[in-house]
Amino acid sequence: MQIDISVENELAVAVISGEIDGKTAPQAQSELLPAMGSCGKIVIEMSGVTYLSSAGLRTLLLLYRQAVAKNGKIALVGLSEEIKDVMSMTGFLKFFAVENTLEDGKRSLN
Amino acid sequence: MECDNRLNVAANLDSLGAIGQFIKDAAECAGLDKRAAYNLRLAVDEIATNIVMHGYEEASLNGNIEVSKEIREDALIITLEDSGVAFDPRTMNMPTEEDLSVPLEDRAIGGLGIYLTVNGVDRFDYERVNNHNRNIFEVKRNTIN
Repeated sequence: MQIDISVENELAVAVISGEIDGKTAPQAQSELLPAMGSCGKIVIEMSGVTYLSSAGLRTLLLLYRQAVAKNGKIALVGLSEEIKDVMSMTGFLKFFAVENTLEDGKRSLN
Repeated sequence: MECDNRLNVAANLDSLGAIGQFIKDAAECAGLDKRAAYNLRLAVDEIATNIVMHGYEEASLNGNIEVSKEIREDALIITLEDSGVAFDPRTMNMPTEEDLSVPLEDRAIGGLGIYLTVNGVDRFDYERVNNHNRNIFEVKRNTIN
């Protein structure tokens, strides 16, 4: 798994690729949580993510809680059909702004 | 495509990737479609993660996980065998549909792994054999073509 984080106009944008499982989810968590900053907003570009296990869902849950605590929001961009299915089945999907492009993801948080 | 029937790995988190690759290859050999292959890999990965974390690491044990596959005419069967702490995942509490509709702010996070396992395959079973845990995953093959 690889994560690149940048900040554009005070909005954090993370691009993740690879597999998010029990091995890599803790790393994702420790990089993404501080990246959200004080506004509690982050766009996560995930079109390169090929796998997400329950460990990854747990990371998204913690991110979401931090976002809510700061009145922020999280946008997930480019989710694969399989990951969307898993997030929908577990009742996660509707709590995130789900977008197809990075531009739409950024716009959805403004 | 050539497929190995067995994979033996150390029971640690670094092995999850190799187990995942083995399952992806087995699914391809058995001709599973993309979704069935993904869900099987997810089911096996969730249980393998539990075995590593609760069966070995929390108990300060070292050991291995053996993954094997059997392609039958009508199904692909994956078996995980380990010598960690005895544990039947089917005894874990699974979240209900009601639990999964609770807002994430108030959500209890436990049980998602076993939920994804049970829902990801056509049959999930557990046996205790010769002081080993054996977790069994079965996915029907689409043999129409």
